[in-house]
Amino acid sequence: MHFTLAAKFLWRDWRAGELTLLLWALIIAVGTVTTITLFVDRLQQALLNESSTFLAADRVIASSDPIDPDILARAEALGLKQAQTLSFLSMAFSEDRAQLASVKAVSDSYPLRGTLIVADAAFVRGTPITRGPGRGEVWMESRLLPSLGVETGDLVDIGVASFPIVKVLVKEPDRGGGFNSAGPRVLMNLADVAATEVVQPGSRISYRYLFAGDPDTLGEFEDWVKPKLGLEGRIFGVKEGTAGIGSALERAERFMLLGGLLGVILAGVAIALAAQRYALRHYDHVAILKTLGATPDSIDSIFVVMFVLLGTLATMLGSGIGYFAQTAAVQILAPLIPIELPAPGMQPVWLGMVTGFICLLSFALPPLLKLRKTDPVRVIRREIGDASIADRSTYLFAIVGTIGLMWWYSQDLWLTTLVFTGGVVAILALSIVAYFLLRSGRIVGMQAGSAWRLALAGMQRRGRENTMQILIFGLSIMLLLILYLVRTALIEEWQAQIPVDAPNHFAINISPEDTGPIRALFAENNIASQPLYPMIRGRITQVNDELARERDKRREQTTGDSGPGASSGRNLTWSATLPDDNRVIAGKWWSSEHTGEAQVSLEEDLARSNRLKVGDRLIFSIQGRELIAQVGSIRTVAWDNMRPNFYIIFSPGALDDFPSTYMTSFYLEKDQKLFLNELLSRYPTMTVLEVDALIEQIQTIISQVTLAIELILGLIMIAGSLVLLASIQASMDERFKQHAILRTLGAGRKLVLGSLAIEFCALGFFAGVLAAIGSEITVYALETEIFQLDYHVNPVVWIMGPVVGTVLIGALGTIATRKVVNTSPTTVLRGL
Amino acid sequence: MIKTVDLGKTVQTSEGQLTILKGINLEIKKSESVAIVGASGSGKTTLLSLLAGLDTPTRGQIFLGDHELNDLDEEQRARVRGEMVGFVFQTFQLLSSLTAMENVMLPAELRNDPDAEEKARELMHRVGLGHRIRHYPRQLSGGEQQRVAIARAFASSAAVLFADEPTGNLDTKTGGHIIDLIFDLNAEFGTTLVLVTHDAHLADRCGRSILIESGELVVEGG
Repeated sequence: MHFTLAAKFLWRDWRAGELTLLLWALIIAVGTVTTITLFVDRLQQALLNESSTFLAADRVIASSDPIDPDILARAEALGLKQAQTLSFLSMAFSEDRAQLASVKAVSDSYPLRGTLIVADAAFVRGTPITRGPGRGEVWMESRLLPSLGVETGDLVDIGVASFPIVKVLVKEPDRGGGFNSAGPRVLMNLADVAATEVVQPGSRISYRYLFAGDPDTLGEFEDWVKPKLGLEGRIFGVKEGTAGIGSALERAERFMLLGGLLGVILAGVAIALAAQRYALRHYDHVAILKTLGATPDSIDSIFVVMFVLLGTLATMLGSGIGYFAQTAAVQILAPLIPIELPAPGMQPVWLGMVTGFICLLSFALPPLLKLRKTDPVRVIRREIGDASIADRSTYLFAIVGTIGLMWWYSQDLWLTTLVFTGGVVAILALSIVAYFLLRSGRIVGMQAGSAWRLALAGMQRRGRENTMQILIFGLSIMLLLILYLVRTALIEEWQAQIPVDAPNHFAINISPEDTGPIRALFAENNIASQPLYPMIRGRITQVNDELARERDKRREQTTGDSGPGASSGRNLTWSATLPDDNRVIAGKWWSSEHTGEAQVSLEEDLARSNRLKVGDRLIFSIQGRELIAQVGSIRTVAWDNMRPNFYIIFSPGALDDFPSTYMTSFYLEKDQKLFLNELLSRYPTMTVLEVDALIEQIQTIISQVTLAIELILGLIMIAGSLVLLASIQASMDERFKQHAILRTLGAGRKLVLGSLAIEFCALGFFAGVLAAIGSEITVYALETEIFQLDYHVNPVVWIMGPVVGTVLIGALGTIATRKVVNTSPTTVLRGL
Repeated sequence: MIKTVDLGKTVQTSEGQLTILKGINLEIKKSESVAIVGASGSGKTTLLSLLAGLDTPTRGQIFLGDHELNDLDEEQRARVRGEMVGFVFQTFQLLSSLTAMENVMLPAELRNDPDAEEKARELMHRVGLGHRIRHYPRQLSGGEQQRVAIARAFASSAAVLFADEPTGNLDTKTGGHIIDLIFDLNAEFGTTLVLVTHDAHLADRCGRSILIESGELVVEGG
């Protein structure tokens, strides 16, 4: 082991500037990964914490019956925090009025996450509070006070018990929707429920058991509890609990992972380029060492020691810079980030350090280990041993390293496979395109002036190197475009999903004779509402002469899926036209004048999980009678668009013989909330589900996630620029030599600088064209396979790619190589 | 000290096979000084690189001391070079990132010799550069760089010194000083000297000359 010699070489190479690029590439690699990981980690934690407030907990067990006390004992033993809520519909009475209310009784520890907002009077701004009502008191939602004709301090009766109204409830974290949220909210203490005598055997009650704790313990508890819950109970976290937030968070996480993954690839490319350059410049050194008796093994040991020392230094510096960069970014962005970020942990720092070493091993070490094969005859004949330092083992290391890092980083084999395969195919295809672009450039160049001819002929002469450089430029720009496009598509999708005026109230149980007047009332008050859909409860009993229950049992046995089957009870409707946001994916939607045999359209997931297809004959049981219908189409449904959505829709006329109620959804501004009192007092039999608070929270979360995504994009842009610089830097030696010779032959500075600018602009243009092709294809795959978005062609890419390529590479390249014309030819040639 | 039997070297070029050396048989005794002369492209440098174990022949045998170089792999040949061989090249071949002194220390450091620094300092004084030990190659003249290279060659306690056109990059006066230095040190250390040159005067200073023409040994003269 030649430690002292290696340390001496390291120090001297550093002082001579030989390692600057490699060291910076490593530092930026580790720094970028650390910054992104730290930031993502903090943001994910913060978003999850914030999102947990939707549930007022980290995990919730929802059940229609009390759960086994052993489950609560287990949670206690595991050290999880617990709370309980119990919801039911009940009449609230004042001295002279009554109103159906949605009562929620909460234990003393409620809420475990988030805060309640309360006020001392109705319709005023509230203040946050971290506990629920105490014993012997109730809190009420603002609009309940005028409808009961009461104020804070007055008494209301729930069941047989009387309680003073102590606070006005402005907002509760886990308001959500559902049947028991139908009326205006009354919040009371769980200990007071018995006194009301409202809860009797057979009462329709929702039990919610709330848990909070560290993620590992929660995971352990969830795994243990799942098999113990009956059909009526289920455990869920924020991701499963609220579909809209769940999918937004999941997509955001995937985007951040993709961003991190691209950051690692970009850093790897920068390191590989810098290491290749370093190795190329050390051929002669190694040849000299070999003539002096250095064996191949000692060459290995010298360079391995050097790079371990360098790697240690770079990872430490990179982690430090990453840590402080994200701290500074958080400080600067604090006014823009609406949630408080938890303290940074050490795990992302370790992740950055390990990433640095893996990058070093995969991308930098292989070309260096090739140095052992340097032919010592090179000291006499320099032309010997100039063969490429990259061989199969180099590529193998880089491939294994890249796949390993991508997998480790994304924890997603499918995403890794997709990005890696896409990358390899893109490199192969783009190499061919780059070669032909270069050829076409030469043909054009031959017709042009001297600077052009010089630049384009030079590009052609160094065809292999320039093809490689176009590829690297192209891939860097492509990765940036991909990230930009996916980010834009995600944000647009989210904004479209829940627009500002998305319906935020559902009205159900509307009698047929009330539909006309209600429609008129909405119009009169300028309330935007969706169409009124009939709604009838029913279930499928037979599928193609086979009992639906038997099919469900078989499905449960074969797939283990105990979820709702074909025979589960569902809300049925009919419609002449395909609802907005629904898309037929199999079969055909019926004509609006459809008559004859009844047809049904099934939602995609229902059809797939129950193996139902177009043409199947279904028998429904509705209100004790049978109805036969054929599956006419399968369709997708946008569940999170806040409009009435149905699994099963019948053709017109099919449900005419069955009495039904109607439902709709509508949008109310905050200051229109009192309209609900008027609506409910005129039509007391209808029920209104208020989801405005839920939507507001979803919109807040989405805006936070959007901001996070913008930040990740910015960080990756920095990493991408470094690759571009590394690539330009890697070709500097060759350019120095060629242009020094040209200048000794009489080429002026202007001509040389002009040809350099043209060369880089042309390389950038070609790279931009490649990037546009590559990113369009990759974005198609990513959007359809990973992010489940609808793909649209992106015309902007075909302009942005070449323009960004030409301007960015042209400017960076010319600035970075200005030294070529500023260094005297004598100095350059003496160094040859 | 050095012996070759039917030594040949053929390389593959884009225009087919090219024979550089054809059946060279020669013997060089211990402490002898031998000049290999010939026109450019005659194969003299190839012969030197084969004799020094830098390259491998395509036919024949090479013996260096007790070692038959053909039987050795790259690792073993490197060790033999480290133990037995010193080099002086036309283009000096100093490591630009190391000082003059550090360049001289290198062979001993590669052998993990704890006295590397002391020996190097002694040799730097011996070649008249005691005052330039901390200078980098770029700060030295061509003649001084070649002196450093000579000091480095003798720092390895080599039994054989191979010199490839050692004055090729120097003016006549400086070249003369360098040759004097090489012959003085050669005599002092009892080294075998194999020198490639096309300078007849320089060849005359050697004990024997070998003339190579088109890859064949034409004349061995005393």
